Amino acid sequence: MSANPVDLQQARYGAGALDETMQPPRVVPGYRETGWRNPAQPLVRPPLTLSELTGPLGPERRLSLLGGDIAGYGAQRAIGQLMHLRVRVLDEDGSPVGGALVEIWHANAAGRYIHPNDDEHAPVDRNFYGAARLLTDQSGAFELRTIKPGAYPVPNSGGWWRPPHIHFSLFGKIWLSRLVTQMYFPDDPLNGQDRILNAPPSAEARVRLIARMAPPTEGPADALVFEHCIVLRGHRATPAQP
Amino acid sequence: MPLTPTASATTGPFFPPRYIDAGCNDLTTFEGRRARGAPIEILGRVVQENGAPLENLIVEIWQADSGGVFRHPADPRADEADPDFLGWGRTTTDRDGGYRFRSVLPGARGTRAPHVNLQLMFSGLMRALPTVMFFEGEAGNERDPVLAAVPAARRALLVAERESPERYRFDIRLRGENETPFFDL
Repeated sequence: MSANPVDLQQARYGAGALDETMQPPRVVPGYRETGWRNPAQPLVRPPLTLSELTGPLGPERRLSLLGGDIAGYGAQRAIGQLMHLRVRVLDEDGSPVGGALVEIWHANAAGRYIHPNDDEHAPVDRNFYGAARLLTDQSGAFELRTIKPGAYPVPNSGGWWRPPHIHFSLFGKIWLSRLVTQMYFPDDPLNGQDRILNAPPSAEARVRLIARMAPPTEGPADALVFEHCIVLRGHRATPAQP
Repeated sequence: MPLTPTASATTGPFFPPRYIDAGCNDLTTFEGRRARGAPIEILGRVVQENGAPLENLIVEIWQADSGGVFRHPADPRADEADPDFLGWGRTTTDRDGGYRFRSVLPGARGTRAPHVNLQLMFSGLMRALPTVMFFEGEAGNERDPVLAAVPAARRALLVAERESPERYRFDIRLRGENETPFFDL
């Protein structure tokens, strides 16, 4: 009956503490909003209980799935470089996370979002909305067909431009697995200056945010193919300790 | 060889409005059927440093059902879980920083007092901010191990005010005076 925190940390789907060098600091130099909104007080490290080591099962039963082709509406094609993205979602053991809900959003080829907060001058493409919501298959994989997003300037930031990037929101097996991250494109000249991409102290962590371009011979003839891997917190289901 | 989790990043300011699905902040019904337990309303405002309200901030919640059970394989009592309760919800703050959920009062479980887990996601939050809301007047608050991990002087900031028998107010201050305690999970 009782939820003993010690037993649960060793139970199925457990997760260890995060390696801080692989994660961004909460307050990022040159990104001023981070200094207004992140706690000044020390964070509390709680015991892990069922609350943290469980999580919503089947959130897609509440949220509508939107499919993985956002490169336009039917015959109305979005403007931009057609691309095909292959992503695998793994846990900390390298096991595939199947059935994970993934939400994706990105700017259009001109660097403009369909959002009331985006009042930049770049044009809207009426054939591009830029949002996909889908599930990973049993091998943890999903595919997205879209157009390559454009770069855009961050307002009032002293010349900071966001490089082309794609946003991901993922639900894993447990509450601790919940992740929001961004993916970048190889060899973009803006990558080296981006304050968000370069926030994690570890070079390995930053490199892993950049997709790999597959040889053009390997994919559909009409699209560039990019491959990416996302690792969620948590471990695979193992038999509970006796 | 164990893998290291991918680095987190901010949602940025442009999380698609269509991802805030209608009804996603109402946990009292699921696929047309009513969840067990006492309906409650949870509402509050989210502000940043200097008290400025934050609009368009994403609030997600995760909680046990009215019997204190999680419908998840890691819960040894998952078989008893309310099939008509998802336990998860999402909303976004309005111009005044306001948010609102309808749910059912979660049950106590072992040493855990009734509580609701929250995660906040927003432009400027490189990592989602988790916190936990407790309920005013619950005797079990005093022995809850998560609340006990919070410095004593700050614990009251995690206890939602009971405005009426069904309505609880939980205001969230991300930084500054009376800053809400957040967790490093």
